[in-house]
Amino acid sequence: MNPHRPCHAMSRREMLAMCRNGFGSVALMSLLGSAAFGCRVVSGEATALAGMPMAPRRANFIPRARSVIFLYMDGGVSQVDSFDPKPRLDREHGQNPYAKFKVDNTQFDDIGTILKSPWAFRNYGECGMPVSDLFPYMATCADDLALVRSMVSQFPEHTNANYFLHTGIGIQGRPSMGAWVTYGLGSENQDLPGYVVIDGGLVPPGGLDNFNSGFLPAAYQGSVFRAGDTPLANVLPLEGDPRLQSNKRALMEQMDEGLLGKIGPADQIESSIANYELAFRMQASVPELTDLSAESAATRRLYGLYSDDPHTRSYGMQCLLARRLVERGVRFIELTCPRVAADRWDQHAGLIDGHERNAHAVDQPIAGLLNDLKARGLLDQTLVVWAGEFGRTPFAQGSDGRDHNPSAFSIWLAGAGIRGGTIYGETDEYGYRVVDKPTTIHDLHATMLHLLGLDHERLTYRFGGRDIRLTDVHGHIVQDILA
Amino acid sequence: MRSPRFSPLSAAGLLALFGLAACSPSGRDALPDVVDFDAHIQPILSDNCYVCHGPDVSTREAGLRLDLRDSALVALESGAAAVVPGDPEASELLRRLRSDDPEERMPPPEVKKVLDPQDIALLERWIEQGAEYRPHWALVPPEKPEPPRVRRLVTPENPVDRFIEARLIDAGIPPAPNASKTSLLRRLSFVLTGLPPSPEGLEAFLADSSPDAYEHLVDRLLASPHFGERWARHWMDVVRYADTKGHEFDYPVVGAWTYRDYLIRAFNQDLPYDRFVMEHLAGDLLEEPRQNVEEGYDESVIGTLFYALGEGTHSPVDLQIDEAGRIDNVIDVTGKAFMGLTVACARCHDHKFDPIPTTDYYSLYGIVKSTRWALRDVRVTPNLVRQAEALDQSDQDLRAALGRQWLAELEALDEPPATLRPERPLAPADTGVTVLADFRTGTDLDGWRADGLAFRPSTVSGVPVFDGDRLTALQLPRVSSAARSHRLFGTLRSPTFTIDADHITVQAAGRHARVRLIIDNFQLIQYPIYGGLEQALDDSTMQEYTFDIGRWKGRPAYLELFPGYFSSQKPVLKDSAYVEVEYAWMYSGDLPRRTEPAASLSGKELTGALAGAVRGWMAGEASYEAVSLLNDALDAGLISADVAAVAADRALRAEREAKLPAPVLAMTMLDDIGVDQPVFVRGNVVTPSEETVPRRFMHALQRGDAPFEEAGSGRRSFASAVIDPANPLTARVMVNRIWHHVFGKGLVETVDNFGLQGARPEHRELLDYLAVRFVEEGWSVKAMVRLLVNSEAFQRSTAPVDEAIEQDPQNRLWHSYPVRRLEAEAIRDAMLSVSGRLDPTMYGEPVPVYLSDFMTGRGRPGDSGPLDGDGRRSIYLSLRRNFLSPFMLVFDMPIPFSTFGSRNTSNVPAQSLALLNDPFVAQQAEVWGRRIVALKELDAPSRIRLMYTSALSREATAGEVDAALAFLDEQATLYGLEPASAANDTRVWRDFAHTLFNLKEFIHLV
Repeated sequence: MNPHRPCHAMSRREMLAMCRNGFGSVALMSLLGSAAFGCRVVSGEATALAGMPMAPRRANFIPRARSVIFLYMDGGVSQVDSFDPKPRLDREHGQNPYAKFKVDNTQFDDIGTILKSPWAFRNYGECGMPVSDLFPYMATCADDLALVRSMVSQFPEHTNANYFLHTGIGIQGRPSMGAWVTYGLGSENQDLPGYVVIDGGLVPPGGLDNFNSGFLPAAYQGSVFRAGDTPLANVLPLEGDPRLQSNKRALMEQMDEGLLGKIGPADQIESSIANYELAFRMQASVPELTDLSAESAATRRLYGLYSDDPHTRSYGMQCLLARRLVERGVRFIELTCPRVAADRWDQHAGLIDGHERNAHAVDQPIAGLLNDLKARGLLDQTLVVWAGEFGRTPFAQGSDGRDHNPSAFSIWLAGAGIRGGTIYGETDEYGYRVVDKPTTIHDLHATMLHLLGLDHERLTYRFGGRDIRLTDVHGHIVQDILA
Repeated sequence: MRSPRFSPLSAAGLLALFGLAACSPSGRDALPDVVDFDAHIQPILSDNCYVCHGPDVSTREAGLRLDLRDSALVALESGAAAVVPGDPEASELLRRLRSDDPEERMPPPEVKKVLDPQDIALLERWIEQGAEYRPHWALVPPEKPEPPRVRRLVTPENPVDRFIEARLIDAGIPPAPNASKTSLLRRLSFVLTGLPPSPEGLEAFLADSSPDAYEHLVDRLLASPHFGERWARHWMDVVRYADTKGHEFDYPVVGAWTYRDYLIRAFNQDLPYDRFVMEHLAGDLLEEPRQNVEEGYDESVIGTLFYALGEGTHSPVDLQIDEAGRIDNVIDVTGKAFMGLTVACARCHDHKFDPIPTTDYYSLYGIVKSTRWALRDVRVTPNLVRQAEALDQSDQDLRAALGRQWLAELEALDEPPATLRPERPLAPADTGVTVLADFRTGTDLDGWRADGLAFRPSTVSGVPVFDGDRLTALQLPRVSSAARSHRLFGTLRSPTFTIDADHITVQAAGRHARVRLIIDNFQLIQYPIYGGLEQALDDSTMQEYTFDIGRWKGRPAYLELFPGYFSSQKPVLKDSAYVEVEYAWMYSGDLPRRTEPAASLSGKELTGALAGAVRGWMAGEASYEAVSLLNDALDAGLISADVAAVAADRALRAEREAKLPAPVLAMTMLDDIGVDQPVFVRGNVVTPSEETVPRRFMHALQRGDAPFEEAGSGRRSFASAVIDPANPLTARVMVNRIWHHVFGKGLVETVDNFGLQGARPEHRELLDYLAVRFVEEGWSVKAMVRLLVNSEAFQRSTAPVDEAIEQDPQNRLWHSYPVRRLEAEAIRDAMLSVSGRLDPTMYGEPVPVYLSDFMTGRGRPGDSGPLDGDGRRSIYLSLRRNFLSPFMLVFDMPIPFSTFGSRNTSNVPAQSLALLNDPFVAQQAEVWGRRIVALKELDAPSRIRLMYTSALSREATAGEVDAALAFLDEQATLYGLEPASAANDTRVWRDFAHTLFNLKEFIHLV
């Protein structure tokens, strides 16, 4: 397709008129059809959808998942202490790793002896999935999880690895997967952002750029929600009395109409006017979203909101909010970790204390989320992904920590289109390197997009002379974990 | 509605061939009479075929290459040829495109591309007509076409209009009427300065009815210092400007702001663009660097900060991969910024579309790799040089005075009462030692390089050390940053060497300083992995500092010293900081030393030797042995240590030293030994090719295959080739950028990509005319801006005419001026301007960014900047990569990772929410409201009118005034105010101000 041939799509004006008249999203979806795809968007040229960037759009094929919840385990959970038991570490505990295998350079270059896991593993569920004692709650969901033990990354540094996990490339500035997904599919709720990050208190290394829209239009950047009085920046009206804002709005609308009358039809102005309508609706819908008064005590308990651990309560709130966003049709939700006393999952020292604190904060809420989604019939349309940016070394850093290991780590997926109770891929006897079915970040992205009904090779955006993809020129769908 | 790539040949002949013409309402486009390869065929082939049948040999299928005519015509394995000129039936290309057999069909089903029947018909006609090839338009140097004569009552003077009119007439679209004077003033003011016109400026312009009122206004705005601020900001998008490096700890780009100021000055002074490019690429290598107009410091070198604006990783595990990433970013930005070429696409394979082989990438790689990042004092003024020289004069005077005194003392000495045995320098006993430097012998720097004023360009010998009025010793020969002054800055660097042993030992002394070992040009030395690559110097006694470097064998490295150190990568310069070096050795195993004993001296022989040593010392040439002898003589009392006689000289020197200004540091470039680079096969640093690529220019451009003869990196030769008027891209790309900023979108809409995958210019002749004229007029940016804004096309209204709505809905023929949303910076600056808070101070260190509660994470600065940024223009706010302002981002300020010559113009609710509820907007409404209330002499309607002219640059209509009055009343009622007090209540005026900020007219040019 020639880059300067415009897309075939209804005009923005028609679309806006439709939105204003409350035309349903289903109809919109079918009308817009594949407009977002057949059209390659030339950087700098307003897209046919510029007026309604979040309008829901039809996928390439029938999607299994409607929404994604990405549970980001910032810092890198140790695979050999969580989902990938390695008895050989017990046998060779304290021995010199250089005598056993080739040791890669690590971030801290402080390589100690082989370190066994301090946690016992037990088998759970009908599938008999081994899970360590770090995650007693999550373990009860074993039959819902597709565990991938053969993840590999390319970067042993947090920031590059974070960018890679979030954007498919290890440098700053590319669109995050949530941005790609909303660019591809829009969102089913026009009163809330389509891509929401619920900040638990720790923005990962690399900053908010992990959630940005890169070269995609700003419409697709993640909106950061936080616990507190103002859940989303600028969403609460300044005016104490709503009538003060209504008056401003009335005057503004009168003047804007006057402008249009004066200059004639102007898509850009009309889109801008339409966006105020969305903004006013968001002002109303966000407080409704965060008002948990209708949630039962049982639900609250499920999510750990009565826990003695404030971090469990905090993460439980994030998970509950995630469910409420899914209920409202928000497309992509990411949760960052709470600020426990230890530094994220990044236990260069004090593995036992740090991992236990982090696990305690997230374990019960995540199990609660999975069970609640299931009970409400939402799990089969929601893809839940649990992943960090890399794993950790099977040998110690110093005496009681573990350093970064991009050569093997474990993640799991659950929900829509996922075959629960699956264990996929294999690491060596130390859990240091992948020996079977290596699975890249690109593969994870391709699989996530696939479940959303998107072909990762067709979801492209032209920037700098290339049709760029989330999966760059890589990515294979991990068929074996799909239902 | 689609805009076709072609049209029937019309009266305008060839012109229209490339252009747009009325397309038939049925949507089925007619074929052009003459099919042109570059205009019609290459876009189809490039989009659909070149990935497998284009320039990149690594993915080429079936040995077929379609981007070259000779290759397309050869017989394939099957015996058929893809293209048989004049014979579509025999051309395998067409057969395969039309085949129903999925095995045969092209493009193959798995690539999910389907050719339009129209495209196939075009290919057929092209083959029928002989399948002629023509090079991609952008690679053919522009020729200056004659602006067309147009049939109109008055032929427009401005050539821009003549090109545009000709096409409009051809398409049957009348131009839109002229914009009103008020919207024109507002448009011009924002386009040239990024600020709204002041109410006074508006009044003056409206009152000026002279025929050249507009031209005068243009001249006035071009001369405004705000012009440079506006256009520098445009350029900052192109060069991915940021004040920090992002990644884990968001380290600073040292002195980035000096480059921002450089840009502002350059645009304000209308620095010729070719010179501007030269300074960016090789500003440190110019024989006649440009001097700052006011202070005389070297401007040119600051341009090279351009290279250092990329990202920087904290403690990367692999230094080669890290360097490859850094260089890749420089190549990416260099290619796009100056030539609109996506050179970085050729990192792993030949470019898929453009004639850019990987060897082009790695020739540029070698150039960048042969360049060092160098911390530099960018405020070395001629005055500072004089001050430094005055210190040298003081030193000479002192040596002369003291030396004369000592010679007299020695003269008076009949028979010295001592036997002295001077020392000689220790040397390695082992031949396996590489001597990286020995500054104890000879006066030159052994190939090391001293930059800046702290170091003299030679070793120093016998520098006196005082304790009060007593001379305690003379220093043995060394290189020292302290010899002149602790208050001067300079750097000392070794040549690049390859690490081939386990240790480097450096004999050094210093305070608050470091010796650094730079491997693979990696500057961000930092715990944990790289802590060992620097050693703290905090002892005035010379001693050995040893680096263990065995793990980096084979890597290129150099030693770097300066009187200071980095703390979290921010340079720290203490007043008492200095650094001195005697020698540096690289070796493995132990390091045995030996020294040759010197002969004992006594009697006449001793006094003779001493007198010789004193004379040598006075001339600044005393050898190691001579200084050692003088020190012994001092200790033995043979020459006087009481130096009260030179106390006045020393006091004068101290006085001079105290006047030295503090340095301003910036990370600029420095040339290194030129190294040719191998190709990294598939972009992987562990698979270098056997052959290296000579450092040269781009293969497809003028003299592209000739290796550079220049010593060093070759950057100057590269820059010369970029700005060579024979270069088909540089001038076109820049005039297109200028057009883009003046008219809202480029003649080539993909402003950073002039390759095959870029958009084709609808107005190729106009672009070429402007490019040639740009060069003819001395690459003057201001002259080009003036030409464009003086055109009628610029001055038209935004209302499209009916004919155009049908025929040219995207306004590619420029019959009207587009409605434009203001950029993030312009919106914020306009608010400051109308609220009265704008502080027009120019230049200087950035104002820290305001940090909301939502902006957290590693590297977060300890303190937030002020909410209103101290009222400074947005260009002066710090751009921390990990803490970019959400207000700016939501209005599409680009994330600075690559060239971003054309911003998105998105339209999202978050923008509305920001204007409705952001604390900055609220604050500025409040500031404005207070200012209005203070205007006691004005009644409410006058205040409303004033606010309208401030915010929207036009008079309020009577209806608008009435609506505003009604609004004020309503708010007053809600605040429970009596009508009498409402006029002087800030809240109601604040609310009105806030509403004006939220008008679409406020953030758009209409």
